[in-house]
Amino acid sequence: MEIYKADVVIVGGGGGGLRAAIAVAEADPSLKIALVSKVYPMRSHTVAAEGGAAGVKKPTDSFDYHFHDTVGGGDWLVEQDVVEYFVQNAPKELIQLEHWGCPWSRTQDGHVNVRAFGGMKIERTWFAADKTGFHILHTLFQTSIKYPSIERFDEYFCVDLVEEDGRVQGVVAVEMATGEFTLIEGKSVIIATGGAGRVFRESTLGGIVTGDGMALAYRHGVALRDLEFVQYHPTCMPVTGLLFSEACRGEGGYLVNKDGYRYLQDYGLGPLQDKPKNKYMELGPRDRVSQAFWYEQQKGRTIEGPLGSVVHLDLRHLGEAYLHERLPLIYEMAQTFMGLDPAKDPIPVRPGVHYTMGGIQTNGKGATSLAGLYAVGECASVGIHGANRLGSNSLTELLVFGRAAGEDAVNYIRNVTPGNSANLLKQAQEVEARMCALKNKTGGTERISTIRKEMAQAMEEGCGIFRVEETMQKTCDKIAELRERFKNITIDDKGSVWNTDWLSAIELDYQLDVAQAMAHSAVNRKESRGAHQRLDGPNGAYKERDDVNFLKHSDAFYVPGCAPKITYGDVKITKSPPAARVYGAAGEQADQERKASNV
Amino acid sequence: MSDTQKIIEIEVLRYNPESDQEPHSQVYKVPFTDDMSVLQGAQYIKDNFDGSLTYRWSCRMAICGSCGMMINGVPKLSCETFLRDYYPNRIRIEAMAHFPIEKDLVVDLSGFMEKLEAIQPYIIPKEPRTLEQGEYIQTPSQFAEFIQYTSCINCTLCYAACPQVGLNPDFIGPAAIALAHRYNMDSRDGGQAQRMELLASEDGVYNCSAVGYCSEVCPKHVDPGNAVNVNKIHAAKDYFLRFLSPKGGSK
Amino acid sequence: MDGWWKKNPHFVEYMIHEGTAVFVAAYALTLLCGLVRLGQGEAAWNAWLEALKSPFSLVAHVVFLAAIAYHAFTWFKLFPLTMPPMVVNGKKVAPEVMVNTGLAAAVAAALALLGFVWRIAA
Repeated sequence: MEIYKADVVIVGGGGGGLRAAIAVAEADPSLKIALVSKVYPMRSHTVAAEGGAAGVKKPTDSFDYHFHDTVGGGDWLVEQDVVEYFVQNAPKELIQLEHWGCPWSRTQDGHVNVRAFGGMKIERTWFAADKTGFHILHTLFQTSIKYPSIERFDEYFCVDLVEEDGRVQGVVAVEMATGEFTLIEGKSVIIATGGAGRVFRESTLGGIVTGDGMALAYRHGVALRDLEFVQYHPTCMPVTGLLFSEACRGEGGYLVNKDGYRYLQDYGLGPLQDKPKNKYMELGPRDRVSQAFWYEQQKGRTIEGPLGSVVHLDLRHLGEAYLHERLPLIYEMAQTFMGLDPAKDPIPVRPGVHYTMGGIQTNGKGATSLAGLYAVGECASVGIHGANRLGSNSLTELLVFGRAAGEDAVNYIRNVTPGNSANLLKQAQEVEARMCALKNKTGGTERISTIRKEMAQAMEEGCGIFRVEETMQKTCDKIAELRERFKNITIDDKGSVWNTDWLSAIELDYQLDVAQAMAHSAVNRKESRGAHQRLDGPNGAYKERDDVNFLKHSDAFYVPGCAPKITYGDVKITKSPPAARVYGAAGEQADQERKASNV
Repeated sequence: MSDTQKIIEIEVLRYNPESDQEPHSQVYKVPFTDDMSVLQGAQYIKDNFDGSLTYRWSCRMAICGSCGMMINGVPKLSCETFLRDYYPNRIRIEAMAHFPIEKDLVVDLSGFMEKLEAIQPYIIPKEPRTLEQGEYIQTPSQFAEFIQYTSCINCTLCYAACPQVGLNPDFIGPAAIALAHRYNMDSRDGGQAQRMELLASEDGVYNCSAVGYCSEVCPKHVDPGNAVNVNKIHAAKDYFLRFLSPKGGSK
Repeated sequence: MDGWWKKNPHFVEYMIHEGTAVFVAAYALTLLCGLVRLGQGEAAWNAWLEALKSPFSLVAHVVFLAAIAYHAFTWFKLFPLTMPPMVVNGKKVAPEVMVNTGLAAAVAAALALLGFVWRIAA
């Protein structure tokens, strides 16, 4: 087995991993950094983020506003001290990215421009047309090339962590092109592997978003926090789930039902506005907008077609030239994938799974409960998204907490001695034997794709936009059944070179663990909050938010071979006590009342 | 449903270095619907017929740059190419031209990555700025100078399209040169002189004979061919200017 | 890479474009001959003029004209590829505008030259 000795190992080459790598390289150029990714960094799913990255920019805006938008947007299931740190560091990170060459869209006078986004009181979403994630990722990747201490392990698939003396000491990875195993030792490991949305069927996510890092940390005893909160993005392409950015609405797009009626005014987001108005109508938060779709569908007011129920995202009034300038990718996607012209035709859309708010539990610097192990980005739950993430907070999260985790890891390893290499190698060899046994076993009958499909179907049924005990329990049972059936899978490919058949089985294994934690966290949360909406309970009691019993983080702990253990942890509240979460005119009134009471 | 189900023949160039002497074709009959991409066709084969079929893919929306392949001899992103456009004829998919095949549709991109790194694809500040000083100002015309060249997704279709890359694998090639040009044209950057050395070298822009097919296949309209050709002018200018200036054109 | 240029219509067109450059060279050579003959005196010059009137020469010139016209046409089509992007009033000039302007200028120059020669001859 190959052995590589690094100081810091980073798993995942997306925005979070790259930002962390650069932070380590800048903090101490003598440290060796191993950046391990199962795809070339620029393929990471950060690339698909469209709308933008939030950070206070306008003189009329303030950290306080961004703080309150984020805390309220997350339905108060939020670590308020972490949000404070986040909003204060956001603009610095976005300017840093500008200095590194990110082509932010600009105003006529040459300054960086900002656009409106859902749930944000003031325009503060920095954007690079509608390819913000793409530009952030490529800027970070290209900038990372500048640092000789970053050694990339591109297309290396991470199969396990190694730990000793209660500390993480490195990772075991497979070089995909050869099937060779490598032990990459490191005094600290930063997981930045992104979300797990591919456990669902209709999602905006790339095939690589399989929750690998979440499952790895989980299996090593770290809690997966608030995993029941799964964001449905309201405007996705039917069937494929491809994303039409929230920027479509930020730029003034309408959502209309089959009668051409802007239905959001019926769901606490009105009154109707002609021009985009922050926190009104189409600029409501994602959970509310997706839920409104479900209600419309119940009322029979959605448009029924061969692709299922849809509503229309209408951009026609914005005009072709404006659409080309601000939403070029959206324009191209509508043309290529749906054969329609957004300047002339409304776009059929429906909600799709987009983001996992929860993840590996960390403190405000990205450190987990396992010494030396950090997590950043969508795979982590650092505590800023709560029960519903506001669009454009997550790209900024990669930068702010990528840097924070990188710098904290540098401080951590100063006091750490390297592990016992012989012991680590022995562990790595055991991992190799286990992985090869999976590949080489014969006589299985279950196809990977069948289990994957059934898992995704079950998750969609049980953990959709609205949830009830019965179907959630069914999903839990189904995942348990699939866990059993997984033992009987068949892998067609027995080779070493580029064996994606085998690697996708390992991914499926990760996915089943995460799906199980998700479903169990969901069924145990007996209230409605943010993206977790229930329709049941005694006298419908679970339809309401229950701050007495559930203003608490859920922590799912791995129990080998069994359902996860779910416990609850406190939420850090500093200056925003839980209040009614209202938008539109009611939201404005609540804002004024809060201001009046502060005076 | 089943009696209206259309079936397309997909011919795949297969190659497994552990068992094959050379690549060979294999034909699969794939049921498809009109919304199915060529990528989804390949996924259908992997899920249902042969799990060993190997290809790269991820985002499905033509932004991650993973899924390039030759489709009936033309370099394309398979996620945004649709089976319906080839039906009822057979469709042939192969690994991208001009790259060594690692397995089936997966090619060795390490050479490309080396070229990308070699052109110093990062801002070498003209006038360094602290975070406290805020962002650089870029006027709309300064922005227009480079923005087009930032759109490259590194899919390498342009390398598969370029016969000169085929003839000289060391040619830095369209995408990497376009990226160098992107930074050279950025008003924040002052690194053009450093990058020109490589662009004007033996493996640089003069390998290009202006076939122009790279720009035609580019899925993001980056027009890498233009970046290459404009830099022939820059390189020539540098060459002649060095006779006039004691320090040389770009140095 | 053997026969690479036959594999794709784009490459075939490229090779024809590059191939027609031979005719441009051939015509330049013909004119160069005239210059040499002029230097050799009046008789040589007249003989050269006579030779130009031969049926072979006439056919060759028709072929030259066709090939050079094609070469010129496809040469201008490469304008957007080979020229630095042109910006007018803060907007990029569209490729087809570049091509058409180039073609129009070439046609105008050819006509002007033709008119000039016509007047001298007359």
